[in-house]
Amino acid sequence: MEHAFITARNASVFYGDKQALFNIDLDIAANKVTALIGPSGCGKSTFLRSINRMNDLIQTCRFDGSLQIADQEIYDPAVDVVALRAQVGMVFQKPNPFPKSIFENVAYGLRIHGLAASKSELADRVEWSLKSAGLWNEVSDRLDQPGNSLSGGQQQRLCIARTIAVEPKVILMDEPCSALDPIATAVVEELIDGLRKKYTIVIVTHSMQQAARISQRTAFFHLGNLIEVGATKDVFTNPREEQTQNYIMGRIG
Amino acid sequence: MENSHIVSRYDKNLGRIQSGILDMGDLVISQLRQATDALDNFEADTADHLIGTDRAVNGMYKDIYTRAERLIALRQPMALDLRQALAPISIASNLERIGDHAKSTAKRARLLAGQTPDPALFAVIQKMSGMVQAMLSDVLRAYDDSDTNLAADIRALDPEVDQLNKDVFATAVAAIEKAPDRAETYIHIILLARGFERVGDHVVNIARDVHQIVTGEDLKSADSIN
Repeated sequence: MEHAFITARNASVFYGDKQALFNIDLDIAANKVTALIGPSGCGKSTFLRSINRMNDLIQTCRFDGSLQIADQEIYDPAVDVVALRAQVGMVFQKPNPFPKSIFENVAYGLRIHGLAASKSELADRVEWSLKSAGLWNEVSDRLDQPGNSLSGGQQQRLCIARTIAVEPKVILMDEPCSALDPIATAVVEELIDGLRKKYTIVIVTHSMQQAARISQRTAFFHLGNLIEVGATKDVFTNPREEQTQNYIMGRIG
Repeated sequence: MENSHIVSRYDKNLGRIQSGILDMGDLVISQLRQATDALDNFEADTADHLIGTDRAVNGMYKDIYTRAERLIALRQPMALDLRQALAPISIASNLERIGDHAKSTAKRARLLAGQTPDPALFAVIQKMSGMVQAMLSDVLRAYDDSDTNLAADIRALDPEVDQLNKDVFATAVAAIEKAPDRAETYIHIILLARGFERVGDHVVNIARDVHQIVTGEDLKSADSIN
């Protein structure tokens, strides 16, 4: 694999006494979509949330080991978590626009991070973000309408626009299409494929077909362990590990 | 399959496709045997019967194709499951082509019925037929048992069938030069041998499919690169 943008070494996560992730070594390449798959409770979402330190919000949660983004140790005490989360954006399972207008949903992050020097620059960046998220043509004439007046698929693309407005390096996605219909899912999947040219994307999905369609690399987690990682085309056609094969084929291991 | 699928209907549907392949294979072997017997002792009924069973074989191919298509569309299988669902389409297609060769052999038996046979060349044709029937029977067993070693043994036998075809061709051409008035008979014999040689190729294709189902390795593309 080429140079990794995100590198986990011996990464373990504990919730109180319970260990949720066991010594994960995983390299995530830049400008690729990496899918994290595995049954519920396998640790894939815990790993995803470790990448932008979302787990810090859980008091009993503890991280051990090393997790570097662009060679920077993100669990270093000197790291500014707010700045980290601007660099590592996240899109959630359920679209969660702010109770504000479509424009303000995207402008909010730009304002709090001081990323627009003037009103016109702010408007330009909002437009660019909405265009990058493939939403501009659908909302350009109603930017002052509430974000939650949009359809589910549009709301999710609004959340993606909000995420990319602050120009992160990494986008984490936690089942971003699970609440969407097949058409909205296809639009978001197409968007993800376009976004990877500029961003490093890590996605958790329960849909094997979605992981196979949109990712270039796939990592299979089971009971807190990383069982297998490889090129998606290999993992879904001829996985090395029997546990992976049993899972993707829907067979009881 | 060691582990059963969570959706039990999946295993049931796949099992029906697999048993369909075995039934189709058995029918095609009996077609080959009857067509070869007709060369020795032609009876018009045999040819008519074979044409009838060829329709049944074509119907079995369509049935397997439809079942596999439905399984893939509805269950979206992955990895080994996907290969097990896809391969029957290729295997059934090869079996259907073997059935066509059996039908052609029976038709040629009708044309050769009034002509003086060449016992030595006919013996070679019979030998080729016996070999490909045994190879076909074994490849069905290899498919049923997911036995890649047996599939490899079958592939290794094909050059012998190819050589017998070349021998028949050379002998028949020499015979035509000596007795041009019997050219038509010998051309039929050449085409018969060629037909059984093609049957051998179809059996090899099935043996490659068996290998690919089990290992995921595509021998056909590997062979074409080498």
